[in-house]
Amino acid sequence: MRGNSWMTVAAILTITISLFLCTFFWLIIANLNANANKVEEDVRVMAYLDFDLTQRDYRNIETQIKFISGVKNVEFVSKDQGLESLEGRFNDSNLLATLGGKNPLPDSFSITAAGADDVKPIYDAVKKIDGIYEATYGAGTVERLFALTDTLRQAGLAVMILLCVAAVVLIALSIRLTILARKKEIMVMKWCGATDAFVRWPFFLEGMMLGVLGALLALGLEMLLYSQAAAYISATVSFVQILPLSQVWGSATVFTLGAGLLLGAIGSVIPLARFLKV
Amino acid sequence: MLIQTVNLGKVYKNGIAALADINLTIDFGEFIFLTGASGAGKSTLIRLLFREELPTAGQVLIGGRSVVRLTTPEIVRLRRNSGVVFQDFRLMESCSVFDNVAFALKAVERPWNEIKMRVPAMLERVGLAGREHENVMHLSGGEQQRVAVARAIINNPLILFADEPTGDLDPKTSDELIHLFADINAEGTTLVMATHDKDIVERMQRRVITLERGRMIGDTVGGWQL
Repeated sequence: MRGNSWMTVAAILTITISLFLCTFFWLIIANLNANANKVEEDVRVMAYLDFDLTQRDYRNIETQIKFISGVKNVEFVSKDQGLESLEGRFNDSNLLATLGGKNPLPDSFSITAAGADDVKPIYDAVKKIDGIYEATYGAGTVERLFALTDTLRQAGLAVMILLCVAAVVLIALSIRLTILARKKEIMVMKWCGATDAFVRWPFFLEGMMLGVLGALLALGLEMLLYSQAAAYISATVSFVQILPLSQVWGSATVFTLGAGLLLGAIGSVIPLARFLKV
Repeated sequence: MLIQTVNLGKVYKNGIAALADINLTIDFGEFIFLTGASGAGKSTLIRLLFREELPTAGQVLIGGRSVVRLTTPEIVRLRRNSGVVFQDFRLMESCSVFDNVAFALKAVERPWNEIKMRVPAMLERVGLAGREHENVMHLSGGEQQRVAVARAIINNPLILFADEPTGDLDPKTSDELIHLFADINAEGTTLVMATHDKDIVERMQRRVITLERGRMIGDTVGGWQL
């Protein structure tokens, strides 16, 4: 490494930048997945009741809902509670006056499903119950969120692959310079009867060392920025759930260091192959 | 029979025909001079024999096996049983005498304790005792060639190839080197040496293979043929 320090520095910086961006995309995807899962878990079916029902009808409908497969919890939401919730959402405590003093909302049941897959069947079943004039759930919201996650995952993967290829090329160029500087040594080693593995090992170590150094720099930078970004996003966009640093630290370390080692190893193997054919 | 060549030929990529129709056999324990003018094909033949180059025609058989068909582990085994001395020494310029000789033992993964014992003993044998820690570039040409010989023979090869080893040496140093080779040969190592030094060939009276323009024109025991 001593003989081509600029190329070595360039290789380490390329790995740092590449792995920084790779881990960045990985963290975004991890957070999107966490948010998508949370949204999915929070999806409820709202069953709005006809206006002319009796208490007996209410109990009857509640019982029917509870018997639907996959229903975890059923909660009655009176029209007054509904209005309160609406006032909270629109941040308007005088909504009733705006509506002419009359609450137009119906009573409803808020139904929690046992699992995300149960939401649609529950919705279909609830719609068929007499006394319910409308049922809704977050149709499309989860699907759109997952579509966004998928798009980002694919885009991230494409960028990651490009960055990894760039890192491997730079490592290979750096190792190639070391190999050229030690070409005679390699030839003599081979003529003395050294095995390919014996010749390859020091270059392999050098490549992996470049990879790990780049990975450590990327990881440090990433974790520093992540904790600050997480604090900022949590403070400004309260509905977005950001995974705490303690939760992503371990897997991010394994991901980044593993990628650094792998890129370093691949980058060292490629340029050596030609020189081993002696 | 240790080595056999059958209709051996080599044409380089630039179209130059370096060797053609070489048929020879080398037995265990022989000391052979390859002679001929510059460009006769001596170095090419040496390179084909220790498989630095592959033939474009014919065969090189070592222990009855074609070198072209050797597997990677077989090539490693062949090299571990061969030693090579080059005219330009091919030493590691930045390393000490000890490191240059130890290099051959490290390459075949010998333990450090063994390396520490064997290198000084070998240096004593080639007349470089006590010079272990000197940088090879501070040695004379003859001394550097001795380091190269020490590196080539420290793994006790069955066969030693030497390509013009006395080419850049003065007559006295050449003499010393040839005596060293004769001693190594007397211990059972087969020796194939390319040279155009008529005096050495005349004095040694060994088997002489003479090449001219890539063809073998003589294979006799005795002195210089050209």
